[in-house]
Amino acid sequence: MADRAKIKAEIRTSLGSRHAAAIRRQGKLPAVVYGHKEAPVAVALDTHEFIEHLHHGNRLFDVDMDGAKATLLVKDLQYDHLGKNVIHADMVRVDLKEKVTLTVSVELRGMAKGAAEGGILDQHLDHLEVECLVTEIPDVIGVSIKELGLDEAIHAGDVTLPAGVTLVTDPEALLVTCHVLAAAKTTEEMEAEAPTAPEVITQRAEEETE
Amino acid sequence: MALMPKRVKYRKQQRGKMKGNATRSNFVAFGEYGLQTLESHWITGRQIEAGRVAATHHLRREGKVHIRIFPHHSYTAKPLETRMGKGKAEIAGWVARVKPGNILYEIGGVPEEIAKAALVRVAHKMPVRCRLVTRRHALG
Repeated sequence: MADRAKIKAEIRTSLGSRHAAAIRRQGKLPAVVYGHKEAPVAVALDTHEFIEHLHHGNRLFDVDMDGAKATLLVKDLQYDHLGKNVIHADMVRVDLKEKVTLTVSVELRGMAKGAAEGGILDQHLDHLEVECLVTEIPDVIGVSIKELGLDEAIHAGDVTLPAGVTLVTDPEALLVTCHVLAAAKTTEEMEAEAPTAPEVITQRAEEETE
Repeated sequence: MALMPKRVKYRKQQRGKMKGNATRSNFVAFGEYGLQTLESHWITGRQIEAGRVAATHHLRREGKVHIRIFPHHSYTAKPLETRMGKGKAEIAGWVARVKPGNILYEIGGVPEEIAKAALVRVAHKMPVRCRLVTRRHALG
């Protein structure tokens, strides 16, 4: 995992969506800090600086909140309706010696054996929930798919995790499959399957009562 | 017949308004690449089917196409040269109501260039301005 980044935060006293929008117009990002059974604190971060750190793989931050220093982990991000910009961040207080549960993205490595035989790769999960020490959070979890044949699957439990990382996701959860795609239906076939008019539930109930 | 629900509680519906932006179904969840609408609009069952055909035809059985919208909403229209009144007209079609941010189609299992070329063809069949989006794998 990348080193801890140092950022400054201002404590927000005026809350609500209107004030949050005004903060965003100033190039700042509204965020909330919570955890360790302390009262939640609303803060504002520098958007550009924070996003740059995220792009460099930082999830752990040493934050100076108007003089009070804390180590914070990015727990969640909210995006705008187009998914382009981050509009809010959730940050949780952490201790460097404590274990945390978080999601880490999965990276498929290699070419599946089954893909060469005409199958297509279907990734059902792109992240895994794991538990690990705050200082040992992996950037990504690599999954080798070289041995994945046709009509075979890799489950969450099959993934080799880095040392010190334990799986929280259901081990039976489907991660990736390789299968032959069924022939695409023609418009005529789709139309033959589709009803000419939908069945009306309330109409049937009325007829029965009569 | 084009796409429509199998069962409904009531056949005819009021037209409604499409205010605001999409708060759900606004990120790529199944495939690797997606087509996102930038406008609110009604998309008919026929248009959805035309988009599906355009995508599958371009992909030639290689990738998987996910359709993220369904025409749940019916609309009515009066026949030509008919006087106004006499009650609500008969159903003329079924539409999906989309808002800015909704993902319309997703494609997975093919390289980026092929998926994007297929989605451009789909975008030409849509009555809305669209943009191509990719699945978000990491924070930020």
